[in-house]
Amino acid sequence: MERSIKGAGEDTKKDSNWINAHLNPIAGLYAFSSGIALVDLNGQGSSNLVVADLGTGLKDMKLKVLKDSSVVQEHSIIDVPTGIVSVYMDLNEPRIPSLVVGSGSSLYVYKNLRPFYKYNLPQLEVNAEEAKLWHQAAEQEIAVDTLQAGLEALNKEGKVLTVQSLDYLEQQDDKSCTQFLNDYGSMSLKRETVVTCLSTLKKSMSEADAISCAVVGTENKEILVVDSEAFTLLKTFSLPSVPCFMSVTGLYDVTFVVYAACRNGRVYLCKKDSAEAKVCFEVSSQIVGFERIHKQVIVAMMNQTLACFSAKGKCLWNVDLPGSVVCTTLMDHKAKGFKAVMVGLDTSKVLVYHNNNIVDTIELQGVPQALCFGKYGVENTSLIAILTTGAIEVLVLKRTVEYADKGINQGPPASQRIKLEIPKKSQLYVDQTVRERNHYRDMFQNFQYDLRQIRLTAAKSYYKSLNLKVTPLSDDPAMPLSLTASIFGIGPRFKMLLNLVNTAAATSVDPKLACRLKLVFRYAESIYDITPRILNLPALVPEQTYNFSVCIDCLEKENPIQDDVTAFVCKAGRSKPVVTAIISMPVAGGNVFA
Amino acid sequence: MLAQTSTGLTQAQSAPQVLVKPKHDQGDVGTVQASQSVVTKAPNQSIREISHISEKPKVSAISARRNTSRRKGTAFPALERRNWLIHMHYVRKDYARCRDLIEEQIKETKNRCEYALYVKAMILRVDGDIQQSLKLFQRCHQINQSNPENLKQIGKNLILLGRHKSAIECYKTAIDLGGKDWQICQSLGICAQFLKDYKQAEAHLSEALTLSRHVITYQLLSNLHLDHGEVASAKHVLEKGIHHYGENVELLTSLGVLYLQAGDFHRAFELLGKSLTYDPENYKAILAAGSLMQQHGDFDVALSKYRAAAQSCPESSSLWNNIAMCFFGKKKLVAAISCLKRAHYLSPFDWRILYNLSLLHLTMQQFASSFQFASSALTLKREHGGLYMLLAISLAYLGQQNNANQAFQQALTLSGDDPHVLVNFASFLHHTLADSQQASQILSRFKKIKKDSPNFDKEVLDASKKLMVALNIADDAELGKKSSETTTDKKKKRKEKRDSTTRKSESKSEERNLPGGKEEENAEEKRD
Repeated sequence: MERSIKGAGEDTKKDSNWINAHLNPIAGLYAFSSGIALVDLNGQGSSNLVVADLGTGLKDMKLKVLKDSSVVQEHSIIDVPTGIVSVYMDLNEPRIPSLVVGSGSSLYVYKNLRPFYKYNLPQLEVNAEEAKLWHQAAEQEIAVDTLQAGLEALNKEGKVLTVQSLDYLEQQDDKSCTQFLNDYGSMSLKRETVVTCLSTLKKSMSEADAISCAVVGTENKEILVVDSEAFTLLKTFSLPSVPCFMSVTGLYDVTFVVYAACRNGRVYLCKKDSAEAKVCFEVSSQIVGFERIHKQVIVAMMNQTLACFSAKGKCLWNVDLPGSVVCTTLMDHKAKGFKAVMVGLDTSKVLVYHNNNIVDTIELQGVPQALCFGKYGVENTSLIAILTTGAIEVLVLKRTVEYADKGINQGPPASQRIKLEIPKKSQLYVDQTVRERNHYRDMFQNFQYDLRQIRLTAAKSYYKSLNLKVTPLSDDPAMPLSLTASIFGIGPRFKMLLNLVNTAAATSVDPKLACRLKLVFRYAESIYDITPRILNLPALVPEQTYNFSVCIDCLEKENPIQDDVTAFVCKAGRSKPVVTAIISMPVAGGNVFA
Repeated sequence: MLAQTSTGLTQAQSAPQVLVKPKHDQGDVGTVQASQSVVTKAPNQSIREISHISEKPKVSAISARRNTSRRKGTAFPALERRNWLIHMHYVRKDYARCRDLIEEQIKETKNRCEYALYVKAMILRVDGDIQQSLKLFQRCHQINQSNPENLKQIGKNLILLGRHKSAIECYKTAIDLGGKDWQICQSLGICAQFLKDYKQAEAHLSEALTLSRHVITYQLLSNLHLDHGEVASAKHVLEKGIHHYGENVELLTSLGVLYLQAGDFHRAFELLGKSLTYDPENYKAILAAGSLMQQHGDFDVALSKYRAAAQSCPESSSLWNNIAMCFFGKKKLVAAISCLKRAHYLSPFDWRILYNLSLLHLTMQQFASSFQFASSALTLKREHGGLYMLLAISLAYLGQQNNANQAFQQALTLSGDDPHVLVNFASFLHHTLADSQQASQILSRFKKIKKDSPNFDKEVLDASKKLMVALNIADDAELGKKSSETTTDKKKKRKEKRDSTTRKSESKSEERNLPGGKEEENAEEKRD
């Protein structure tokens, strides 16, 4: 395996296979791959680019005809255009195709770039009861609120209502209801569907300029085949989900197959002789691009993979892409009989996949929004890219280019040649190492000795603190007390003022009283005498300061002396004091004035 | 309707409010209505065009009807009319623009457009706002109660929120609505896995596989089996997955690692090599394949593989550990220590790294450091014979005979079958304590093991032979072997023996190096 990887050669940067023909960064186009088409509008063998421009996505929709990189003609479109296809509708010479724009619930047909015909998709069935209610309301047989209640009930039952009824249900008061009824009551109820994708199907001949039908995918989970000569509905397929991409092959009069990629992540097959769609395959992520080469379906998915399936639904190959897919197109190089899939990525690159091999990588000026490969002007192998910025970029494939499968062994990845970053060791490290080598025994023994010393010191301090029972602050979380003491007087009699606070935060449930506490003192009995020796403390309310005072007498008469007095707060039943304070007494006793 | 020139439209847009109902104040409706009025008022060239082709009766019918019912069709635009546009933006991950469109659509349809809300919820989930996303999915379900898709997404959000029992309920309702599919089955499996119901989880995931074969399900099911120690079933699942997705790197790597753990190096290498062909930068496959190469002494190749992994995962302690052991194999000790120190910095509580550090310092004759690393490794991993052996050897060098003896005893009780422990102990007994009797006892144990599995390291064999000569024990296994060995091999061995007797002390420490490194790599794989 290693040999094969090494043998694949160096990946040197070579010149691009494409010539940059045109670039118009301010073309202001907004369309997806479905909304652009290369059409020979004059029948003179020179193609123009037709763009069903989405405008702002809400308004300003236009049908634009481009030559080179500039718009030469434009027409307004009423609703958001879903897709555009060119179809030959008649047998007239010269052969000039018409344009079919799918938009809203209609197909708009343009002949010679003039609006020619509008085909409305068949309307959906309106619920009979709903229609009856509206009819009655229009005839003023039922009142406004009866209509409202009736529609409400239908809605609750889960019946699909018309937008008109839904709008009516939104009306707040009787006045607006009446107004609504007056405005729209007489209108016949309608339920419309929406075009989601558009494709073509040759009718009875397979020539490039043979008469075609339009194939329409709708929001109503249907695929319709519409005759382009008489504009009649030829066939309807129903799908379990809304189609978003379609690919059609065959002839309507003979046999045909529609591959429809749906929003539920499944691809369905619709054949001429059955109205039901068959599941072809299922993918685990949403489909972004959908192309077909002969009987193989290639899907680009949201999870950054490109997969190829046979018509039987078997996964033939599956590759991970280096970025998120934004659009795809089919590269059909007719002169060389070469078909590949172009995948536009969000890294501004277009990868050309022939089977599962990348045969070319094209760098664009920005992230593509729509791609189209075909004849533009007189160049047979043009790649048109509309970028997300609205720019249009046209590239032409060099004629000398021969694409060949490189095979999957693309050599070792570039990262394998990057040197490892190993931290350098300093001279100090080397010196230390040498030292350790020479004196490892001493080092070990010293270390062990020091370690023992530390342990001993730690143990000693621990023992000491255990013995002292010093707890300046309470270590019992249930009873946080703080104790401070101050001494007044110059001796031999002193007064000690003890200050005790319960620092617990009282809650409404638990008042956190500190009860059953005693304050006791420890001192050298030969030096001091304290009265009282034991103080019984009251229950301490949190955040209240309690002051206690005791008298301390110094018993020493001869020499000035000084010692510590320790005050403990103890709780009944506990051997360890809650709080401890050590008070250093001032010097007293003896003859001060001597 | 088609019949406007661009001038007609601009007019219409300049006054979109003219004929618009107050509640339909979006531009499109206004445009249409206003422009129709333009059409009726001033029939222009395009209209004439239509009348030219009046051989189509339908066309003229449309134009005639248009005047009578101008509000129709556009007064109530379909709620779904921009669904496809939202969908296109969503799948392209153009979330910013998608969000704008959705907001517009929601405003226009007064929160009734199911698909717009659905996609909004999906985007919110991608952003991580699960709670909000859940609310929107619930709203979708309210709008359309017959769509199982909404319930499935609610279930997914519930899983993400950790409410597995509610998720199961939700999926059950979805099944009632639209029947079972792989997504539901898989999600149910995940729920059961979280609820620690192994049998149920397995059943659900297997069912998902019968409905539709997805890579992710194979992965989930194999991981489930592995979590419950059923390596054979996991292998079986992965084999089936590879049968259908022969090029899936994840599946290939997982299976390769399983074979590696089982000791089937040939098959493991085949699988890992395959996955590296498809994705030469797959970290997991690189680590597994690299450790295999290391095991066969192919340090340079392993290092070149690790170089690729070091770019993608520079903060993996296992990777740096393996790199270090490659350098160790190439006798670049300082580089090895550098890499190990980095690995140790990245995961300070990994006893394997400490083990290797101890081993390396032993080789560098830094016995005090070696002792330190071994003892800290021992605090992390108590029951490991190899660690006690390292501790014992460093203690022996540090002059702590008694402690060393104790450590060796401990190593012997923990892993009495480890040839390294036996040989080192015997050597320690013979050379340091001069207790030849016990040394020969230990060596005889070693001989017994050698008979069972003859594939030992040469270094271990050499050292044991040396000891046997010193202790005057006949190596009967050697006698049996001699006939099969070529003469050149024998010569080489003898020569090495002679060489090594002169540098006894050095070879003693070195003889454990390689096995230590290897053990490490194996352990590495187990952890992955």
